[in-house]
Amino acid sequence: MRKRIHALVAVLGITFVVGLLAAPAYAAETIQPAKPFTTEAAKQCFEKLAKGGDVTADDCQKAPSPLLPAKNEILWGTASFLVLLIAVWKFGVPAVKNMEKAREDRIRNDLEGAEKAKAEAEAEKAQYLAQIAGAKDEAGRLIEEARQAAETVRADLVARAEQEANDIRARAQADIANQTNQAMAQLRTDVASLSIDLAGRIVERNLDSDTNRQLVDSFIDQVSGSN
Amino acid sequence: MNALLLAVDVPPISNVTIWGAGPLGFNKTAAIYVFAALATMLVFMLGTRRKDALVPAGLLQNTAESGVGFVRNQIIMQTMGTDGLQYLPYLTALFFFIFFSSITEIIPFVQFPANARFGMPLTLALATWVIYNVVGVAKQGPLHYLKNSLIPPGVPKPILLLVIPIEFVSTFIVRPFSLMVRLFANMLAGHLILVTFAALSAGLWAAKVTVVIMPFSFGLLVAMTGFEILVAFLQAFIFTILTAVYIDSSMHPSH
Repeated sequence: MRKRIHALVAVLGITFVVGLLAAPAYAAETIQPAKPFTTEAAKQCFEKLAKGGDVTADDCQKAPSPLLPAKNEILWGTASFLVLLIAVWKFGVPAVKNMEKAREDRIRNDLEGAEKAKAEAEAEKAQYLAQIAGAKDEAGRLIEEARQAAETVRADLVARAEQEANDIRARAQADIANQTNQAMAQLRTDVASLSIDLAGRIVERNLDSDTNRQLVDSFIDQVSGSN
Repeated sequence: MNALLLAVDVPPISNVTIWGAGPLGFNKTAAIYVFAALATMLVFMLGTRRKDALVPAGLLQNTAESGVGFVRNQIIMQTMGTDGLQYLPYLTALFFFIFFSSITEIIPFVQFPANARFGMPLTLALATWVIYNVVGVAKQGPLHYLKNSLIPPGVPKPILLLVIPIEFVSTFIVRPFSLMVRLFANMLAGHLILVTFAALSAGLWAAKVTVVIMPFSFGLLVAMTGFEILVAFLQAFIFTILTAVYIDSSMHPSH
């Protein structure tokens, strides 16, 4: 029993040691790429990795440029971009152009409409201003006319009033003159008779009435003439 | 394993991280971001050159005007209202920058979305985080802002023990993290899909019998390329509108 166990351990140990020694060689012989390499760089990289050691995937596989993506990606990405570009060119761009045109037209129409409305408003304003100016002129003219008419009427009235006043004055003066004359005549008569009467009484002398009257009259004439 | 890697010829990660290391290192990702910034600036500088022209003409002016109009009407007015119009410049720049740095994914010879590295998504998410927190503190005061952020209205008191930690994590940690991951993961996934189908098309083309199924692979590549345009636009839109939503939640607390 013990012998058998020793034999088993010995066989296992020998197998392990042989395997350990043979493994790198075996590995180097048997690891093969799944498909042929597309580029020389990929092949070199694979060999570097297969050899083992202090090498990582990053070290062995540098992209050709820090800016450009890998070749496959550029090729197929560009192809898909071109397909898309053609589709966009054919369908997208006209749609966008239409949209832009519609937008431009709308804005242009709005602006033109606003411009037109402004022009119309200006024209209307000018018209209103002209109307207002006309109305002002008309009003001024009317006022002037009214003033002239009033002036005429006033002058008329004044003239008539003056005329009337003159008439009244003239009549009054005539009246006064008449009255005065009458009064004078009356007075003359009265004074004559009174004087005669008075003189007769004072003098107590019978005088011829006609002579006396002549005397008094001449006296009064003298008086009134000197007056 | 190494042999498998070689079979699909996937370029190693280091091919986009060379040209110097450290803070001043410059690589393809950085180049794409520079392009995106320049493209955004060019659109608005060249698109707004004709200041006297009221009727828009040309692709650039239409792009610039529609872009601003889109951000204003579809993003700001839908989320923040007129209050948010002061954030129009930030959101417009964000939208265009993210779109331009993602769309490089389908441009031949570039074929890489810069947002598939999470550096810039993280930076932009942090910028948004800073903005909505600063706006919240400025508009509501620090205590009110915390209270409105952490305590939803109408929650019974005992539940608050549970709700406050959840709201804290959701508002101050998950928001920027999800912004970053959403953009970065979408662009990375899209890029991987495109690379996979490109490599698959190449492999099928090289093989003899399987070439018959190559058109399907290529057809899907074309479809995915188109889909990635949509994704680039959509991710820019989502990032921007979520930023607007977060700023809005700081400006107008819901209570």
